[in-house]
Amino acid sequence: MNLSAQPGPARLPGYDLREPTEDDARESLRRVFGAERGAERWTAACREAGLTAGRVGSTALLQRVVQALSAQGGPAAAVARSVEIRIRTYARLSAAAPSGGQG
Amino acid sequence: MKPDPLYDEARLQEIVELDLLAPDVDPILADLAAEAASRLGLPVSLISVVLDEALHVAAFNGPPGLWLDETRGHPVEWSFCATSVRTRDAFVVENAEEDAYHRTNPLVTQDGVRCYAGVPLISSRGHVLGNLCVVGLEQRTFSEDDVAMLRALAAEAVRRIERRRVG
Repeated sequence: MNLSAQPGPARLPGYDLREPTEDDARESLRRVFGAERGAERWTAACREAGLTAGRVGSTALLQRVVQALSAQGGPAAAVARSVEIRIRTYARLSAAAPSGGQG
Repeated sequence: MKPDPLYDEARLQEIVELDLLAPDVDPILADLAAEAASRLGLPVSLISVVLDEALHVAAFNGPPGLWLDETRGHPVEWSFCATSVRTRDAFVVENAEEDAYHRTNPLVTQDGVRCYAGVPLISSRGHVLGNLCVVGLEQRTFSEDDVAMLRALAAEAVRRIERRRVG
């Protein structure tokens, strides 16, 4: 999900992984639903989370929107789980660096 | 260009209809994963669900303390299982350090994965949902019989999974 053109957060050494952003989540939705429907899904999830699309500026806020996205069900829930897993993996590996486990 | 099945909306819809992201899937499938690892003498086995941008671990068998058992997944670009979603066939890596794609995979460079064998879980609707796979820390060969055994376990996994259909 190396999809954002922004410099963005630092990558986790060894794993070449960075923390997901709003742009990443929106790009995921675009890939699955197409540009228009993907944007609609994201806007609706942001609204449900009490936030504004384009202003989801932290991982904590992103998790709120992802939770709302999951509640939409169907493929949106699958996309939401992907973002959750990427957030969780980044958090776990950055906390544990340099030692980890086999995956 | 043919669309990438990873992002296929109907495939992701079926994964959710089958409720494969729920935590109660693990006890339904864990014995199949354990049998695969035991029969091949390998330390780790999974039943994976391949999503658009991540692999979700539906059932896990392995020693305690591995981060994968905590995260229950990892980014899809590290996934050996994603190959089977695209090819609809078994995927075997006998020496990951020499595999053109996976030799730079962090699971190989950081976590020591050296061999992998996985077979696709194909639903009755024709979607590849994920894989049943085994993972080892030393290179090894896999015979046709090994892969056939994995296919039989995967077929049983699909039977159990399809009983969960809610949509």
